Amino acid sequence: MTLPLIVLLPLLGSLVPLLGARAGRTGSACLTAILPLCALVLTIFLSVSVFDGQIVRYSLPWVPQLGLELAFRLDGLSLLFALLILGIGLLIIVYARYYLAPEDSMARFYSYLMLFMTSMLGIVTSDNLLLLWFFWELTSISSFLLISFWTHQSSARKGARMALAVTGAGGLCLLAGFMLIGKIVGTFDIGTILDSGDMIREHPAYMVVLVLVLIGAFSKSAQFPFQFWLPHAMSAPTPVSAYLHSATMVKAGIFLMIRLYPVISGTDAWYYIVTLVGLFTMFYGAYMAMVQYDLKGLLAYSTISHLGLITMLLGLDTRLSTLAAVFHVVNHAIFKASLFMAVGIVDHECGTRDSRKLGGLRKYMPFTAALATVAGASMAGVPLLNGFISKEMFLTESLQTQNLGGLSWLIPALATVGSALSVAYSLRLVVDVFYRGAPRFLPKEPHEAPRPMRLPIEVLILLCLAVGMFPAQIVGPLLDVAMSAVAPNAMDGQDLSLWHGFNLPLMMSIAAMAFGAVLYLLRGGLNSFRRDFLVTDAKYVFEGAVQRATAFCARALDRFDSRSLQRYVFLMMAMMLVLASFGLLRMPVLMGEVPMQPLDPYIIVGATLMATGAIATVYFQRQRLIALICLSITELMVILTFLRFSAPDLALTQLVVSTVTVILMLLTLFFLPQQTPKASSGIRILRDLILAGAIGIVIASINFAVLTQPYETIGNFFTEQAKPGGGGYNVVNVILVDFRGFDTFGEIAVLGIAALGVLKLLNRMKIFVPTTSAENRPWSPEYYPTIFGSVSQVLFPLALMVSVYIFLRGHNLPGGGFIGGLVAASALIMLYMARGVEWTLRRLRVDYQHVIAAGLLVAAFTGMGAWAFGEPFLTSWFDYFHLPLIGELELATALVFDLGIYLVVIGSTMMILANLGKLATPHSPAREARKASTKSTTMEHH
Amino acid sequence: MNLTLTHLFAILPLIIVGITVVVVMLSAAWRRHHFLNATLTVIGLNLALASVVWVYFAGQGAVAPDLASSAVGFPTLVTPLVMIDGYALFYMALILVAALACSTLANAYLEGLDEHREEFYLLLLSSTMGAMLLVSSIHMVSLFLGLELMSVALYGMAAYTFKRRVSLESGIKYMVLSAVASSFLLFGMALLYAAYGTLEFASLGLRLVFEDSVGIWTLIGVGMMVIGLGFKLSIVPFHMWTPDVYEGAPAPVSAFLATVSKVAVFAVLVRFMIMSPTFDTKLHTVIAVLAALSMIVGNLLALGQTNLKRLLGYSSIAHLGYLLSAVVALRAGVTDGGGELSFTGQLVLETTGIYLATYVLTTLGAFGVVTLVSSPSRGQDVAQLHHFRGLFWRRPYLAVILTFMMLSLAGIPMTAGFIGKFYVLALNMNEELWWLAGTVVLGSAIGLYYYLRVMVSLYLAEPGEIQRDAAHDWGQRSGGVMVLIAALLTLLFGIYPQPLIDLVQAASPVGY
Repeated sequence: MTLPLIVLLPLLGSLVPLLGARAGRTGSACLTAILPLCALVLTIFLSVSVFDGQIVRYSLPWVPQLGLELAFRLDGLSLLFALLILGIGLLIIVYARYYLAPEDSMARFYSYLMLFMTSMLGIVTSDNLLLLWFFWELTSISSFLLISFWTHQSSARKGARMALAVTGAGGLCLLAGFMLIGKIVGTFDIGTILDSGDMIREHPAYMVVLVLVLIGAFSKSAQFPFQFWLPHAMSAPTPVSAYLHSATMVKAGIFLMIRLYPVISGTDAWYYIVTLVGLFTMFYGAYMAMVQYDLKGLLAYSTISHLGLITMLLGLDTRLSTLAAVFHVVNHAIFKASLFMAVGIVDHECGTRDSRKLGGLRKYMPFTAALATVAGASMAGVPLLNGFISKEMFLTESLQTQNLGGLSWLIPALATVGSALSVAYSLRLVVDVFYRGAPRFLPKEPHEAPRPMRLPIEVLILLCLAVGMFPAQIVGPLLDVAMSAVAPNAMDGQDLSLWHGFNLPLMMSIAAMAFGAVLYLLRGGLNSFRRDFLVTDAKYVFEGAVQRATAFCARALDRFDSRSLQRYVFLMMAMMLVLASFGLLRMPVLMGEVPMQPLDPYIIVGATLMATGAIATVYFQRQRLIALICLSITELMVILTFLRFSAPDLALTQLVVSTVTVILMLLTLFFLPQQTPKASSGIRILRDLILAGAIGIVIASINFAVLTQPYETIGNFFTEQAKPGGGGYNVVNVILVDFRGFDTFGEIAVLGIAALGVLKLLNRMKIFVPTTSAENRPWSPEYYPTIFGSVSQVLFPLALMVSVYIFLRGHNLPGGGFIGGLVAASALIMLYMARGVEWTLRRLRVDYQHVIAAGLLVAAFTGMGAWAFGEPFLTSWFDYFHLPLIGELELATALVFDLGIYLVVIGSTMMILANLGKLATPHSPAREARKASTKSTTMEHH
Repeated sequence: MNLTLTHLFAILPLIIVGITVVVVMLSAAWRRHHFLNATLTVIGLNLALASVVWVYFAGQGAVAPDLASSAVGFPTLVTPLVMIDGYALFYMALILVAALACSTLANAYLEGLDEHREEFYLLLLSSTMGAMLLVSSIHMVSLFLGLELMSVALYGMAAYTFKRRVSLESGIKYMVLSAVASSFLLFGMALLYAAYGTLEFASLGLRLVFEDSVGIWTLIGVGMMVIGLGFKLSIVPFHMWTPDVYEGAPAPVSAFLATVSKVAVFAVLVRFMIMSPTFDTKLHTVIAVLAALSMIVGNLLALGQTNLKRLLGYSSIAHLGYLLSAVVALRAGVTDGGGELSFTGQLVLETTGIYLATYVLTTLGAFGVVTLVSSPSRGQDVAQLHHFRGLFWRRPYLAVILTFMMLSLAGIPMTAGFIGKFYVLALNMNEELWWLAGTVVLGSAIGLYYYLRVMVSLYLAEPGEIQRDAAHDWGQRSGGVMVLIAALLTLLFGIYPQPLIDLVQAASPVGY
C-alpha cells in the first residue's frame, strides 16, 4: 500500500501550494517540499526490499474492460528514476523559491511542478502500459502548463504549444503501439509483457509496434526528427528547464526505451533505427550547441546531443552499452541540472543570457563560476568527474560494434568527434561566460547569488565529484539493481572504476579533449558557417509546415466550402451519380424478367405532356406564375396516370390535394416578387443541364431495371378481403375506415389538433396586403371579380352536393369521407376567394372548431359503439336492407365513422386556409397613411 | 397483431413526449409565457426519461420465457415498425438527456429574443420525438417517419431567429440539402423493397444473406441509404452543410443538431447494418473510404477556422468519421453462427454507445459555453475565436470548462473523450483495420493542434478590447447548471468510466 503513496503524495502536493498561498514565499516552498520529501523517504524505505531483489508491486482494478489497472511496480529501474525525479525535484523547489520574482504566482508554479512530478513518478512506477500512457500524456499537459508559465510572453505560449503538439502527437502513436502490444500479448500488464519479448519480436506486426513506440519515445526525448521543440521550450522559467529538460521529462522517452528494452530490442531494425537516429541527433545537437548565443539554447542543444548519445548506446544493444546508457542518464541529469541552474543564476543576476554580452563573470560571482566550471568539466568528460566514466564506457562500446561491416570503424571515429564537440561547447559555455573578457551592456549590475540559491547546485556538484571518484561505491549497487530489471547480469565482470589503464578508449578521450580545444579556438569559422545554416532551423520547418497546411486548407475551403448552396447540391448530386452509375455498370443486363407492357396512344400523349410540363416548369422558372401553371400540367398528368392504371381513389385525392396546394402557393405568390432574379451564368446552366441529364438517365435506367424485376404484391390480399371483411367494394376506403380504422382515427385527431394549433399560433400575426407587386406594378384594384363571384355562388351548392355524393358512395365506389371533405373544402375556398374573407364570414357563421370537434366525436362514438355489443373498439358492422323504391341498401358503421372523417377534413382544411387568408388584411399602414394624405390634399383643394 | 397495454407501456416514453408536444402547444396557444412553457417542456422530458428507466427495469424484471406471452420482456415488438429493447431505451435516454440540456440552454438563450419564444419548445419536442422513434425503428417506414419528423422540426429550429440573415440562410440550406438527401434515402429504400419485397430490417437481412446473387441492388440500395443517412451524419463528402448550419443556427440548435440528430441517425444506422448485414465488400470499402475522408478532411479543414462554431462543425465531421470506422468493423459478420451476436458485433455496439455518449456530453458542454456567452438580442452569436480571447480572466470557470471540453474532444486521457477514442482504436486494431486505425491516429494528431489553439486563446490577456461576456449569474441559470453537470460527467467518465461501460453493455443486444 505504501507504493501508490509515492505517486499519490506529490499529487496531493499539487494542492498544498494553493492552500498555503498565504504562507509567504519561503513558507510556500517549505510546505510544498514536505510531501515529496515524505515520498522520497518512502522510496528509500521501499528500496530495501528492491535491493533484496524483489519487485514491489501493487494493483487495484480501475477499468477492467479497457485492461486498465491502477498497477504500480518498483523495480530497480523505477527506483533509480524515482530517486532522480524526487531528489532533483526537491532541489528545484528550493532553487525556484529564489529564482521566481515576487510578482510571479508561487502557488501556481509549485502546483504545476507537483503535478508534473506526479506524472513523471507515475511513468516510472506504472505496472500497466495504459496507466503508463496516461501519465505520459499527463507529463505533456503539465509541461505545457509549466512552459507557458509566463503567459504574457508570446514565445512562451508558442513554445508550449509546439511542445504539446509534438509530444501529444507522439503520444497518440505511442498509444497505438501500446494497444498493438496489448493485442499481441493479451494484457497490458508490464510484468507479463516483459516476459513476452519473443512473442512480440516474432509477431508480423513487430515493425509497426517498434516504429510506433519509437516515434513516441523520440518525440518525447527530442530525437531527430522531433528535436526542434526542445530549444523553443526554453522560454520556460529556468527551474522548469533544469527539471524538465535535463533531468526528467526528456528522459521519459529514454526510460520507455529502457523499460521496453527486453521486449522490443535485439533485432536488426532496432539496431539500425535507434543507433543511427541517436548518432545523427548527437551530432546535430552538438553542432547546434556550438553556434548558439543564448546560453539556455546552448544547453538545450547539448541536451539533445547527450540524449542522442544515450539513444545510440541503447541502439548498440550490448549488455555494457545498456549499462552505459543507464549510467549516463544519471550523470547527465546531475551535471545538466546544475548547469541549467547556474545559467539561471547568471540570467537572474545579470538580466540576460546572451553570450555576446556576458564575459568575465568570475569577478562578480566567484562561487557560481566555480560550480559551473566543475559541471561544465563533467559535461566535457574530464577525469575524476562522473561524465568521464560514462563517456569512457561509451567510447569502449563504440569500439565493439561490428554491424556496419567494413564501415564499422566509423562508429568509434564519429563517437570521438562527438565527444570533441561536447568538449568544445563546454569550453564555450564556461570560458566565455566566466573567464574571458568583461560583461558589456548588462541590464543589471551582476553580483553573487544568495547562498540558498546556490545550495542545490552545490549538492549536485558534490554528487558529480563523488560519483566521479568512487563510482562503484556510490552508484554501483543502484545500477546493479536497475540493470537487473533490464538486462540481467549486465554488471557481471564490469568494473565501474576510474582507471582502466592506458587503452584505446582513453586515447580516444584524450584525442577528443585536444580536438575539442581546437574546435573551441576555431569557433569563429563555425559561426559564419552557421549563418548559411540558419534557414533550416527546424522551428521554421515546423511553423512553415503548419502554415502551409493551413493555407492549403484555406484554399480547399474556398473550393469546397464556398457556402454556396448550388455548389453543395451539385457535389451531392455528383456523388450520388458516381455511386449509382458504379452500381449500374456492375449490372450484367438492364432488362429484368418481367415482359414490357404494350404502349397505347394515351400513355404516349400523357407521358409527352408530363415531360413537356416538367421541362416548361424549369424553363419558365424565373416567371413564377407561369412556372406554377406548367407544374400543374405535370401534376394533372400524374393524376391521369393514376386513373389509367386503375387507382381512381388515389387520383381523386391527388386531384383535390394538388388543387388546394396550388391555391396555397398562389396565396404566397401574392406577397412575393413575380420573377426570380437571374442568378446563373450560361456555363453554369450548361453544367447543371448535363448533370441533370446524366442523373435522369441513370435514375431512369435504375427504375427500368427495378420495374422489370419480378415482384410480389400485397394488393391481392386486400382486394380479396374487402368485400367479406368490410362489406365494401372500394378497397381503399375499406382499408381506411375499417381495416386500419384505428390509424385513421389517430390521423384525424392529429389533423384536428394541427388545425387548432395553426389557429392559435397565428392568432396575432398580421401581414399587410401589398398594393403593388414587387416589381412595382399595381395589383388590379378589383380584388373580387364579379363574374367569378357569381359563378362561384352558383357552383357552391352544386359542389357541396357532389361532395356529399362522393362521400356517400365511398364505401363501394371511388370516393369517401376524406375526398368528400376535401371537395367541400375546395368549394368553400372558392367562395372565399371569389367574395373575400370578410364577405364570406358575414354570411357563413360556422365555427370550424365545432365542426372538427363534432367530427372527432362522431368517429369516437362510432368506435365506442362497438363496446355496447361487447366487441373491441372500432369493430365494424354492416348489413344489407331492401327498401322499396330505392332498392338494395347497405348500412355499415364504417359509414358513420367516415362521416366523422368528412367533418374533420372540412373543418381542419377550412380552419387552416381561412386563417391563412385572414392573415392578409387590406388595412396596411402604408395605405392608411396614403389615404390620409390624399384626403388632406383634397381638403386643401376645397 | 393486437396492440395491448404491454405494447403501450413499452412505448411510454414516446407517448409521454407526444403528449408533452400537445400540452406545450395548447399552453402556448392559451397563454404566451416563456417560463411556463419551458418548464412544461422540461417536466415532460424528465417524465419521459423516468419512464425510460421504468420501462427498462420492468423489462429486466420480468423477462418472459416466451415472448409470445404478454408479459413485458425485451425485446418488445410494438407493431412491425418499432422495437423497444435495451438498445432503443439506452439511446432514447441519451437523446432525452441531450434534449433536456438543449432546452435548458435554449431557455437561457431565448430570453434575449423579443417574441415567439414558445414555439421553439414545440419544435424541439417534435424533433426529439422523431429521434426517439428513429432509434427504436426496425422498419424502413418508421426509419423514414422518424427521420423526417426529426428533420422537419430542425429546419424550423435552425431558422428560428429568422431576423438574423445567417440563421435564415442556414435553415433554408439545411432544408434544401436535407430534402435532396431524403430523396436519396427514399430511393434507396424503394430499390431495396423492389428487389427484396420487404421493408423490415430483419427480413431484409435474411434476404440479403440468401439472395446475395442479386447483390447489385444491395450496393445501389444500401449505398443510397448510406448517402441519405451519411448526409445527416455529415460524412464527407456530404458534409458541406455542417459548418454553415452550425454557424448560422442559434447555438442551442447547433447543440441539438450536433447531439440528438447525430445520435439518433447513427444508432439507427448501426441497427440497420447489424440487422441487415451485407457482405458486399465493395460497400464496406466505400464506407471505410468515407470514414477515412471524414477524419482527414474534417480535421484539416478545422485547422484554419477562426469561428468556434464552425470549428466545432468540422470537428464533428471528424468525430463521425471515427465513429463510422466502427461500422466498417461489421464487415466481418455479426453472428457467431449460433444466432447470437458475435464478439465483433458486441464490440461495435459498445464502441458506438460509449463514443456517442461521451461525444454528446462533450459537445453539449462546448456549445453550452458558447450559448452562455451569446444572446440573440446582441446580433450574431459570439463564436469568433477572438471573442473568447482572455475569457479566463473574465469568467474563469467557463474558460476552464471549455478547456476541458476541448481536451475531451481531442481525446486526452482523464476526459470522457479519451474512453471513446480508445474504444474506436481498440476496435480497429481488433479487426486489423490498420490503415483506418492509422487514420484515426493521424486525425487525432491534427485535431490536437486546433483544439490547442482554442485553449490557448482562452488564456491570453488582451487588455483594452471590449469583449462579449456571459451574464454574471450564469452559474445560477439552468443552462449554466447544465454546462457544469456536463463538465463534471465528462471528468467522472474520464476517470471512472465503469458505470458508463456497464450501462452500454446492458443495452447491447439488438434484436438478437
